Amino acid sequence: MSETHDTHAAHVEKEYSILQIAMNLTIACLVSGIILATTYFITHPIAVEKAKMLEEQAMKDLVAEADTFNAVDGQEGWFSAEKGGSIIAYIVPSESKGYGGTIKIMVAVSTDGKVIDYNILSMNETPGLGDSAAKDFFRDRIKGKASDDLIVVKDPSNKENVQALTGATITSRAVTDGVRAAVDEVTEFTGGK
Amino acid sequence: MRNLWNIYKKGLIDENPIFVLALSLCPALAVTTSVVNAFTMGLSVMFVITANNVSVSLIRNLVNPKVRVPVYITSIATIVTFVELVLEAFAPLLYKELGIYLALVVVFAIILARAEVFASKNKVIPSFFDGLGMGSGFTLAMVIIGVIRELLGSGTILGHTVLGAWYNPALIMILPPGAFLLIGYMIGGLKIYEAKKAKKLREVDAQ
Repeated sequence: MSETHDTHAAHVEKEYSILQIAMNLTIACLVSGIILATTYFITHPIAVEKAKMLEEQAMKDLVAEADTFNAVDGQEGWFSAEKGGSIIAYIVPSESKGYGGTIKIMVAVSTDGKVIDYNILSMNETPGLGDSAAKDFFRDRIKGKASDDLIVVKDPSNKENVQALTGATITSRAVTDGVRAAVDEVTEFTGGK
Repeated sequence: MRNLWNIYKKGLIDENPIFVLALSLCPALAVTTSVVNAFTMGLSVMFVITANNVSVSLIRNLVNPKVRVPVYITSIATIVTFVELVLEAFAPLLYKELGIYLALVVVFAIILARAEVFASKNKVIPSFFDGLGMGSGFTLAMVIIGVIRELLGSGTILGHTVLGAWYNPALIMILPPGAFLLIGYMIGGLKIYEAKKAKKLREVDAQ
């Protein structure tokens, strides 16, 4: 009788020990969850607000002359940049596939179908090579060009087209293609007016 | 006090995470293309490693040895996510700049190594200084690599052009192979320095 009881007790203790180990990890995860949930609860509203502010600032940087920005009806993510009540440009989101994944771009296109400027929202291009696509010197190669001229070339003397970044031809092509797609969309939208 | 200073100091050179322990070489290759990135990464790691050492030291007697590694990883992941959330809310530009590398801090070998080797066996205050020292050593190494790579690879320091137009940037320094070469030379250099130091000590002893 007592023997059965002993084995039973040992069995219970072994179970208990495994349970204790599991509980140990569970409690660790629970504490972690509570900390993160609290942090998220506090920081999320601020993060959303900051992101919105940044977006507005980014649009101002793209089209400096514009005074108001309005969402365009029926075109998701589009904004019209207006100056004194008349539309001078459209700000259009665009995507293309780069060397390290999707590159998300925001392109400002004037109503006559030329690139005013663009802004890279997210990318995973090679640091020091591909990520130069966000820098001023490469933006200058794209600014002011119409859809037909947005072709990547490797000839430094060619000023008509877009000269590729050294060591990052794929990135250069991806960004240029993304910008061109946005320009074409705008041209289509405005009906070439 | 002196003891704490020694705990701190060993992370700087004698047990420098990158040059001597050769841990966490991946970020040393990936984000040291410019000084700013290297420095911000160094500071983030310093914060995470110190906070994690403190938290691991606090719970060292509560954690069952069988699940200690998952618990430590949970602790590291919590701290890193906390840093991410706070940066996203209060410094969105910096958050964007660090990108995916911030999340990768979770799996940095050096952080888990310090938790396992030091914090799980020591009291809170020494663990704090150990984390701080290792973090400083890591930051120091990252900045040194960053300065050299940015200078040779782009001819700039902190984005300012230092080497004039005559300088043709050595692209390889920006790419991972350049970082490997550089880290190799630096580890070699440190070994020579240590050998000389040991020789000097022996000579002094002999006299």
